[in-house]
Amino acid sequence: MNEILPGTGHLIKTWLLLMALTLLSMWSAQLDSHSGWLPLPTWGIALVLISAGFKVHQILMVYLNLRVSSAGWKGGFICLLVATVSLVFLAYLSAGQT
Amino acid sequence: MAEGSTQEDDWGPLSALPGNPLMWVLILSEMLVFSAFFILFAWQRAAEVTLFNKSQQFLDPVSGGLNTMILLTSGLFAALAIQAIAEGRLRRTRQWLGLTMVLGAIFCVIKVMEYAGKLSAGLTPETNTFFTYYYLLTAFHLAHVVFGLGLLGLVCWQTSRVNVTTVTAFWHMVDLIWVMLYPLLYLLR
Repeated sequence: MNEILPGTGHLIKTWLLLMALTLLSMWSAQLDSHSGWLPLPTWGIALVLISAGFKVHQILMVYLNLRVSSAGWKGGFICLLVATVSLVFLAYLSAGQT
Repeated sequence: MAEGSTQEDDWGPLSALPGNPLMWVLILSEMLVFSAFFILFAWQRAAEVTLFNKSQQFLDPVSGGLNTMILLTSGLFAALAIQAIAEGRLRRTRQWLGLTMVLGAIFCVIKVMEYAGKLSAGLTPETNTFFTYYYLLTAFHLAHVVFGLGLLGLVCWQTSRVNVTTVTAFWHMVDLIWVMLYPLLYLLR
């Protein structure tokens, strides 16, 4: 176990980014508006999902230190993440059209 | 691979992953299972949009967001524990692990309070499809959090670099699953 660990500064910057993205997701979901529980616009759904996907990516790469792994593993995990987010997004788009 | 490792330590392609290879097998399998659940939830919602949107209004997205921030902060503390153990600072490692556990316990308390509120309002897993998914997914995740807390407690006692790395990896996995679960159940509509 001699892999290079992320430094304290890197960890704290990642944490700040994750917190900011959480707040961005809450804002994108229009929790602060007077719109009540109206369906989100497509851009809102996209923003929430991209934000969640990017947060998962950061946790994998920095906290779980996957960045020191091989390109194959990194690519595999990213593919799984992109596939999941895309299929969920398609389901929400499809629901909006019904 | 670590210096002085033998052929017995060779995990094949898994050797390229940081930390315990078996923990990565668990992480990958959990990610696959939860991904399947997320996709299933989203497509089930597409078939019953009105029901899902109405039911979702009974959830509190702000308390869910607070819980997200609590778990993300516990993830930072877990990562700092790895740094501390790598520097040989045993006491500091236990402090970070202890803080991680405190935040994990707060997450559990908020979740249990949320369940109590829902159950007292008559919203049970049998109420409708949305609440079946809500209880199934969040309780399955909560079980992982409780198990993770137990593991963190064990590592506070048996503190070594291998143990800390392995258990904090499990904790980060719990963290990343919630990061996807939160917007699906609480935000997207």
